[in-house]
Amino acid sequence: MKTLTRQELEDFAANPPANPPEWIRVQLDTGGIAAGAEAVHAALAHEREERKLLFSLQRAGSIGYSFADPVIEVQAPGMPRIHYGHVTPELVGQVIEDHLRDRRLIDDHVIATRQRAVTLDGPVTHLLVRDTGPETGSKTEFFQFSFTEELKRRGLAERVQVVRALDIGVYEEGAVIQLLPSGVTYANVLAPDVARIVAESIEGGRVIDDLLWKTPDRQVRIVLRNCGDVDPDSLDDYLRRASGYQGLRRALFESNPEQVIAELKASGLRGRGGAGFPTWMKWQLTRAQPAPQRYVICNGDEGDPGAFMDRSVLESDPHSVLEGMMIAAYAMGASKGYFYIRAEYPKAVERIERAIRQAREQGLLGKNILGSTFSFEAKVRLGAGAFVCGEETALIASIEGRRGSPSPRPPYPSVRGLWGMPTAINNVETLACVPAILTRGGAWFAGFGTETSKGTKVFAVTGKVRNAQLVEVPMGTTLREIIYEVCGGVLDGREIKAVQTGGPSGGVIPVQHLDTRVSYESLQQLGSIMGSGGMLVMDKTDSMVEVAKFYLKFCVDESCGKCAPCRIGGYQLLQILDRISRGRGSAGDLALIQRICQAMQRASLCGLGQTAPNPVLSTLRYFGEEYQAFIEGGPSYARKVSRGSASPAKAPERTGTTPPVNPTPSNR
Amino acid sequence: MKSAAPASPVGHVSHDESALLDLLESLKQRHGFVPREVSDEVSRLVEVKLERLRRIQSQLDTTIRRDVQQHVAHWREEEGNLIMILHAIQNQHGYVPREVAMELSRELGVKLARIYEVITFYHYFKLQPPGAHTVTVCNGTACYLKGSGELLNELRSQLGIAEGQTTPDRQIHLDTVRCIGCCGMAPAIVVDGKTCGHVKSSEIAGHLAGLRAKKEAVA
Repeated sequence: MKTLTRQELEDFAANPPANPPEWIRVQLDTGGIAAGAEAVHAALAHEREERKLLFSLQRAGSIGYSFADPVIEVQAPGMPRIHYGHVTPELVGQVIEDHLRDRRLIDDHVIATRQRAVTLDGPVTHLLVRDTGPETGSKTEFFQFSFTEELKRRGLAERVQVVRALDIGVYEEGAVIQLLPSGVTYANVLAPDVARIVAESIEGGRVIDDLLWKTPDRQVRIVLRNCGDVDPDSLDDYLRRASGYQGLRRALFESNPEQVIAELKASGLRGRGGAGFPTWMKWQLTRAQPAPQRYVICNGDEGDPGAFMDRSVLESDPHSVLEGMMIAAYAMGASKGYFYIRAEYPKAVERIERAIRQAREQGLLGKNILGSTFSFEAKVRLGAGAFVCGEETALIASIEGRRGSPSPRPPYPSVRGLWGMPTAINNVETLACVPAILTRGGAWFAGFGTETSKGTKVFAVTGKVRNAQLVEVPMGTTLREIIYEVCGGVLDGREIKAVQTGGPSGGVIPVQHLDTRVSYESLQQLGSIMGSGGMLVMDKTDSMVEVAKFYLKFCVDESCGKCAPCRIGGYQLLQILDRISRGRGSAGDLALIQRICQAMQRASLCGLGQTAPNPVLSTLRYFGEEYQAFIEGGPSYARKVSRGSASPAKAPERTGTTPPVNPTPSNR
Repeated sequence: MKSAAPASPVGHVSHDESALLDLLESLKQRHGFVPREVSDEVSRLVEVKLERLRRIQSQLDTTIRRDVQQHVAHWREEEGNLIMILHAIQNQHGYVPREVAMELSRELGVKLARIYEVITFYHYFKLQPPGAHTVTVCNGTACYLKGSGELLNELRSQLGIAEGQTTPDRQIHLDTVRCIGCCGMAPAIVVDGKTCGHVKSSEIAGHLAGLRAKKEAVA
């Protein structure tokens, strides 16, 4: 098999290939496949065959619109790229006939582009409309009708199609319309504005300033730069269309390991797994350790319930992660790498294994890569359902084929890691950033973010949120912007109560802190952590005691049992919480919880035990009155909450059924 | 069975063990003891039978050994291969059978206790054979907030088993999983590898009926 050469790689960079004029991409990640994307792909392939069509049918990963799975993206000549959500095999015929043949968009499936423009270039061909007011969607049809009538009146109905959008990217701003192909977006459109928009913007080609939605998209896609675009199963696609392995080429031929580390230092990239240790320092420490062999490990053991960033990146853009790992290995002088991935992510495992195989066939892995002196080999190791294996030392034990019990640090893995050799462990997202930093420069990356936290962070926003999706925003974006502007706010227009970040090791952030700018430090100050990026939205109906109990139960189940504070402390804590949530708690319980939590934080061996009390402590800190309500309300109140007939946020009604209580329980 | 019971010369007794038992029982009833010549003949028959069973057993053993050797050969060169071999075994059998674990211990030269130490540490490895069908409830946080608890309760009461258990007819296995990463479709359940999103507890009966229908179609 012919291997890739340095020259070819340079040619790829110099001459990006022309895209075919007409294509459909089906987003086939686990979420999409679960929602039926394979059937959609099969139906498209069948129709293409049947009708002898020439459009290029491509496979891709996910852009992150989980709320609309399965998602496809369609490009027809002379039209902007359009995402369709909730696609079914039955819709395929319509996509081909209406969109590709007649250039007409399909009602109720279009997801509007987030690349909103402020100037109109070229005549309007399509007008997307969606009512985002309090009763979402109720006036969409009215506006569609009004615009269509107005266009007819002016004889423009043939030229401009009015389409109901599935999602328009602006929320709680009344009726929103977007003019295609430019992407000019108007918000809070009222009935009298219809004639104005048609006259001025569509006929006159002028932007109406007082309606224009100027807020740019909050998202910046660095980690997710190729997700949903490239075919995760094709090295060729990555090389040609995503300027793949150009970061590696720059590292190998245009700099030395010290310069790579310096570039990382300039970028300010910190570990995206949660702790936020500077990546360059980790590499430097591993490099500085004299040893016959060094290892680099990619931590893809994404065990936090409710987080799926790493899965999505591994499934949608595996070569980026592999390239990042190779650059890391070059910088620290490692010749072997391991991907440690959860066995529960079969698709991610399959795609990264294929990526490794393709890279090996093309000579991007093995001896003297691209004719340099750098040799590297990568392998996959499967996790087996143990949350604690996300901890560095436990992860190393698991790769060595042992129980995943953590061991005390120091020595840190950068000194004595895998098989006693210096080892650097990096998160999937961290590694996915690396090629972008190498190609575009550390200073460019450092241009995003805050003083201490540079770059962007991917969050998986789920729970009671309207659009559950992957979000990549610059550090320093506020939680409110992420939840309300990007994800459309709380489900069913209910009131937000808190956001949970960091999974079982994190904490809750109450509504009064929603304007906090996201960074490693700011979240820590609030008693939570950045974590790997799970972000859970909770509304007023969620009981914080139950949430704390849920996370604690998780940690108790996952405790490896090696050290007493975690094993015993966690169990006792859970007993107390259980007691409280059944209304059988006593006044002294809250103080006892505090003491146990402190003991666990101070004395536990590894991060799991040290952080397990976080959800309990932070809910206690911000929602102490809920615990009080359970303690004071007794069993009858607890039953009411579990039936949903009492709000967990409010103290119980002091009726005859509950015993009279002292308002300050510490006096009891 | 009754037809084999009449007292008969031992010579043409069937090899069926229930027939042998019936014969011994009827002799005991008639004479109060089993005559010498009969017991000798029966024990000869049993010997023959045992020998055959042993041969079957040894053939099974060689199959197991060959399988295990294959897995080990594939991973022999790799350091820390135990977990990857266990993954291969579990993929093949659906769980890690004791005989296979014992064979693996011999093949790798690793103590059986150490293998079990690893198997029992990780949730993913199972020691019991799975049911014919599996229903898994995602218990990730997003699913939890959107009512996976209700789904689990519904499944528990309809199947009469708790999570981690299999129905007595070994047809349906109920399990929970930490997170399948389909948080956009919460709450989600996985029925025989197919992920179903936005599940309501009223739909559970339909899913189970679907599985049972599949079972009958196979039978």
